[in-house]
Amino acid sequence: MSMKMDLIKRGNDAELKMDGYIDATNAAEVEEVLMDVAGKFDNLLLDMEKLEYVSSAGLRAFKRVYMELRRKSGTLSAKNVDKAIMEVLEVTGFTRLFKFV
Amino acid sequence: MENLTVNAVVENLDEVVGFVFKRLSHYGCSKKTLMQIRLAVEEIFVNISSYAYDPSVGPAEVRCEVLQDPLRVVIQFLDGGRPFDPLAKDDADTSADALFSREGGLGILLVKETMDGVHYSYENGKNVLTIEKRLTDTEDVCL
Repeated sequence: MSMKMDLIKRGNDAELKMDGYIDATNAAEVEEVLMDVAGKFDNLLLDMEKLEYVSSAGLRAFKRVYMELRRKSGTLSAKNVDKAIMEVLEVTGFTRLFKFV
Repeated sequence: MENLTVNAVVENLDEVVGFVFKRLSHYGCSKKTLMQIRLAVEEIFVNISSYAYDPSVGPAEVRCEVLQDPLRVVIQFLDGGRPFDPLAKDDADTSADALFSREGGLGILLVKETMDGVHYSYENGKNVLTIEKRLTDTEDVCL
């Protein structure tokens, strides 16, 4: 699906290394994987170093994941966010979803 | 102006992005500029695919031209679906409250923020959305 995600488990926390892109063609599949991880862990850290592109379809997936984690008082964090992707998050107000580490 | 006509369905997104990128491949665009153009093309094409002919399917035409002085790309999207001016609505509310209550409007907001010009018209029974982006920025030149 043009996106590879490697999961690193640390107790109740999970880190996902994202490698690829999220657009309208694969957002549903990416969301399914993210929601599965969000359902199993309290806190989720997304390593975006190799996330090359995200559109509004991806932002909506991030929002659902955030809401699932918030429901159980968990946190959604992000690291290594590319400048252009950060601009997409800023323009839309979606920086609020993430704790940047 | 070169053009491509495809059925307006999400499955054709890659073909549309590929068509535009092929015309940009010799201009040394920065990675950031290419990402912004890809984003605008996706958001507009996906909007047409989702709403223009809903619940039916119809064609979308994409025209692309690179102009000089200043170096810029002009991309037009034409569809024969119901008349709809995406620029007529207020910008999506990006406040914290709205973030969790609304789904729509993000795409066109991203287009407006990342492109240098966005224009809508309704001509000969078609929605025509035109975007323009300068290709010369000094950052991150990598091609």
